[in-house]
Amino acid sequence: MQRVKERIRVAAIFAPGSKIKPVWFEWRRQKHTVKELSYFWKDHVGDETRLHFAVTDGINLFELVYNAFDQSWNLEGIEGEQ
Amino acid sequence: MNAFFASVEQQSNPHLRGKPIAVIGAAKRTVITTSSYEARAFGVKTGMNTWEAKQKCPEIIFVVGNNRKYTYTSTQIIKIMREYTPLVEVSSIDEAFLDVTGCLSLFGSPERIAYLIKARIKHQFGITCSIGIAQNKLLAKLASDMQKPDGLTIIKPEDVTRVLERVPIKDLCGIGSKMNQYLTKFGIRTCGDLGRFPIDILKRRFGIIGERLHFMGMGIDDSPVIPDEEAAEVKSVGHSMTLEKDVTDRTDILMYLLQLSEMVGRRARKYRVAGKTITLTIRYTDFTTFGKQESQSRHINNSEDIYQAAVKILDSLVLTQPIRLLGVKISSLQYYTEQLPLFPEERKKALIAGAMDSVNNKFGDFSVTFGSLLGEDRGSKVISPAWRPEGIRNVEVE
Repeated sequence: MQRVKERIRVAAIFAPGSKIKPVWFEWRRQKHTVKELSYFWKDHVGDETRLHFAVTDGINLFELVYNAFDQSWNLEGIEGEQ
Repeated sequence: MNAFFASVEQQSNPHLRGKPIAVIGAAKRTVITTSSYEARAFGVKTGMNTWEAKQKCPEIIFVVGNNRKYTYTSTQIIKIMREYTPLVEVSSIDEAFLDVTGCLSLFGSPERIAYLIKARIKHQFGITCSIGIAQNKLLAKLASDMQKPDGLTIIKPEDVTRVLERVPIKDLCGIGSKMNQYLTKFGIRTCGDLGRFPIDILKRRFGIIGERLHFMGMGIDDSPVIPDEEAAEVKSVGHSMTLEKDVTDRTDILMYLLQLSEMVGRRARKYRVAGKTITLTIRYTDFTTFGKQESQSRHINNSEDIYQAAVKILDSLVLTQPIRLLGVKISSLQYYTEQLPLFPEERKKALIAGAMDSVNNKFGDFSVTFGSLLGEDRGSKVISPAWRPEGIRNVEVE
């Protein structure tokens, strides 16, 4: 997976039970609709809790990271044709 | 779990599903950590070099592992298991024993509990596991290995003798390749052979293990399922690392020792233990591995003290080959409560370590560290077999 580490705009559903589901995101002026949330995991860096979402738009695989500490979204990496 | 790391990667990336993949480390000279069942069909095995795997399976896709993904998944799976019984003994990141004797009235049969656990893991993570049900840990482990992937095997008490009769002894947990060779020399090839073999000969040859071997051959194992909170206290805190390249230069060796000492010290301070014995482990290029230990005048957990002790051991050795792996460990542990040292110099060191720990707790390991460690990606890159979801063995991985 190619590292990107860029702040991005994400539309997500925050459902009851602390469930977060990214719906679409914008990266480099292009809107990507999430077709499948294929995996989710959580980790910590110091005080920060980071929620990782492996998602596909049907073409590429993206790793989106929601930082619960500062409530920001990052595109961590991408795998595919780009 | 079945091909745990590879299954997680295949689930994470739909393009990898159904394909031969192997999970490898990020280091240049990495080996295969786990491979998917599709790759295993070509003969790809754990521990192989990437080029060996490529020879076996030209189509293989290598995926650099993401340890945090695996430790998170394992922790969540263990949480699921604990919803059925508090008696969960985690034996590695992808294996656990559950004693469900006391919770059958709540959930029904062991088989039902097994199916529920399998279904929940599959639903939540999309990955499969194999479960073995039997009257003890030895047989449950054997049963879990009998059907992979996605298996559920039950060895009923009345079937034990019949099942074991033809099972090769090497399939029993605890019989490694050397023991297998020894026993084969006695004409013992199957568990049936082992159970029938005269116990006195086994005891004469293997001592107390001989008796255990005899019982293993008969499927008898009285070891209890011990949950983490009841497990014996840890006896040591250590870290080791295979270096990016073999090193001979003293400056390089010292840099790695400092990093390892900081990792050991930080974990020891976090769990409030200090060690009186320091062990330095070295592996040469030809895989010759040895360790030397030295007792200290007092219990220590300050990274700098650990480092100085490790350097002293290093200086007492005559290195004959480049170093491939280094390890630092503290043992003869003592638990302590926070108390600042009396002497100003020691007090200063403890305060500095405390301040560094506070910053690193807030911003992540190695956010503030020794000058010579700056600039590189530090931290534990390998999930140790001793990894556990909680406590002192819960090593944060990169």
